[in-house]
Amino acid sequence: MISLDVELPLARFPLRVAARLSAGVTAVMGPSGAGKTSLLDAIAGLRQVARGRIAIEEDALVDTAAGLSLAPARRRVGYVPQEAGLFPHLSARDNVLFGARGRAAEAAHAIEALEIGHLLDRYPSSLSGGEKQRVALARALAIRPRLLLLDEPLAALDVGLRERIVPYLLRIRDEWSTPMLYVTHNVGEALALAGEVLLLEEGKVEAQGPPLSLLSTPGLSREARGGIENLLAGRVAAHDAQGGVTRVRLAGGLALSVPLSVDLALEAPITVAIRAEDVLVSTEPVRGLSARNVYEGVVRGIERGAADAALRCLVHPELPEWVARLTPAAVAELGVVPGSAVWLAVKSHSVQVVSTGTGRPGAARV
Amino acid sequence: MMPTREEWAVVLFTLRVAALGTAVILPLGVTAAALLTRSRGAARSLLETALSLPLVLPPTAVGLLLLDAFARRSALGSWLAALGIQVAFDWKGVVIATAVMSFPLLVRSALVAFEEVDPRLVGLARTLGCGPGEAFFRVTLPLAWRGVLAGTVLAFARALGEFGATVMLAGNIPGRTQTLALAIFHDTQTGRDDRARVLAGITALLAFAALWTAEALGRRRQRRRAA
Repeated sequence: MISLDVELPLARFPLRVAARLSAGVTAVMGPSGAGKTSLLDAIAGLRQVARGRIAIEEDALVDTAAGLSLAPARRRVGYVPQEAGLFPHLSARDNVLFGARGRAAEAAHAIEALEIGHLLDRYPSSLSGGEKQRVALARALAIRPRLLLLDEPLAALDVGLRERIVPYLLRIRDEWSTPMLYVTHNVGEALALAGEVLLLEEGKVEAQGPPLSLLSTPGLSREARGGIENLLAGRVAAHDAQGGVTRVRLAGGLALSVPLSVDLALEAPITVAIRAEDVLVSTEPVRGLSARNVYEGVVRGIERGAADAALRCLVHPELPEWVARLTPAAVAELGVVPGSAVWLAVKSHSVQVVSTGTGRPGAARV
Repeated sequence: MMPTREEWAVVLFTLRVAALGTAVILPLGVTAAALLTRSRGAARSLLETALSLPLVLPPTAVGLLLLDAFARRSALGSWLAALGIQVAFDWKGVVIATAVMSFPLLVRSALVAFEEVDPRLVGLARTLGCGPGEAFFRVTLPLAWRGVLAGTVLAFARALGEFGATVMLAGNIPGRTQTLALAIFHDTQTGRDDRARVLAGITALLAFAALWTAEALGRRRQRRRAA
């Protein structure tokens, strides 16, 4: 259990976070500038807390009421920043051993788990982004941390590389059982890794809860949930190699086609994401359209912004409301109001598989 | 015209006192720069300004202050005299004068080098178990050493040519406190212009070599940062 009760001034607003985090992985999400990195810095001891208490189990790292603030060196909190933060003057080996201080077994374990044995003699400038991140993870693990702080460790990597690093993170989660705070903007990473999401907005906790239910809650800011409004859970139903699609069975029995991915096991639980701007809206039954996924629904609400409007539609009582983003002109032209019947269409290529499994995708491939 | 033995002696003496003066200020300057890097606000700008004073004051004024400080009748001077150490009008005076005059160059170069080091890296070192001192020696200094070395070479070059403060504190005593700069002045005053020109040529060569080294170090630093 990590208890946070932190107050510190930031440039635009104060950071005020009070939360209890269970052991395991907590994804810290929220718009840029919400105070996520400042929170990690405060926990690591790189930023002074104005008031509050930070504790791992019963051990306080900071307790301003008691005048306590452990030096960063004495906190045993591993930190992996966005750009890995390797020491450029040291080889990968010396980076990993930097804080190990005789804990050679820990370092060796980390080197093995992250499969960086062949990189040890190289210098950071000759490592790829993914290799740097693995070395930085090993370096943090070699101090046998009581808590790991990961600040968007995959943000600087391209999509293909991200998918190759996630299994290492899963391995760390499962083999070390070190609690982790994982800052990310990526819904897929949060769903794949975290047991809990802590959503920050302007320095405050906006919401805290299990990833899927929290990230598909209406009313949370778009940026906070990684730019994806529609998150749907289902199971893999069938592969149609000829049609080039994999069919997913959503709650309520609705079928959804996604691009063919034969490596998904049948009946495996799966989470898919659809951006609100990728949902087409029609006021009449749709015919002769190439989109594979068409659903009938009812408009439940319209939220108008400056440049666009978000339509909330009920497609099935067992599914969360779908969100479609339209221009105000389109809303006026369609004449939709709450209660209108609509047909929603989504191309299968607009559906993104963000995670397979719910919580323990142990079968993820390297 | 080849330099005579006597002239070589002046060259060697100059190199020796400049090297000694630089060696004296190296640990002091690095410490001062490291402390300045970590500080902020009014105290810092006051200190920085004070440390830079020798750059803009007339060297003779600095020399006069030093002479007052080390004179036999001053507290410091009489204490040193009791230990049998004479600074004024002695080679030790040359070392001190050149050291004081070149100190700001070293501090300013080291300060720039230290501030180029990403503070996140220093913070990470601290999460990995380092105290502030250890983080400095294991991260900051190894990443900034080129800049510190460039500053050291620059300070050495400045020390080679020091005139005003030296002549005030140590006088211009041939064979005892006479450096290249002082010898050139002395020779022109005594009508030995040719010898003065030879010494000036040697000074120019030494200064060129030192500056070239400092520049080369600076260039490599920039390349590394760009990489």
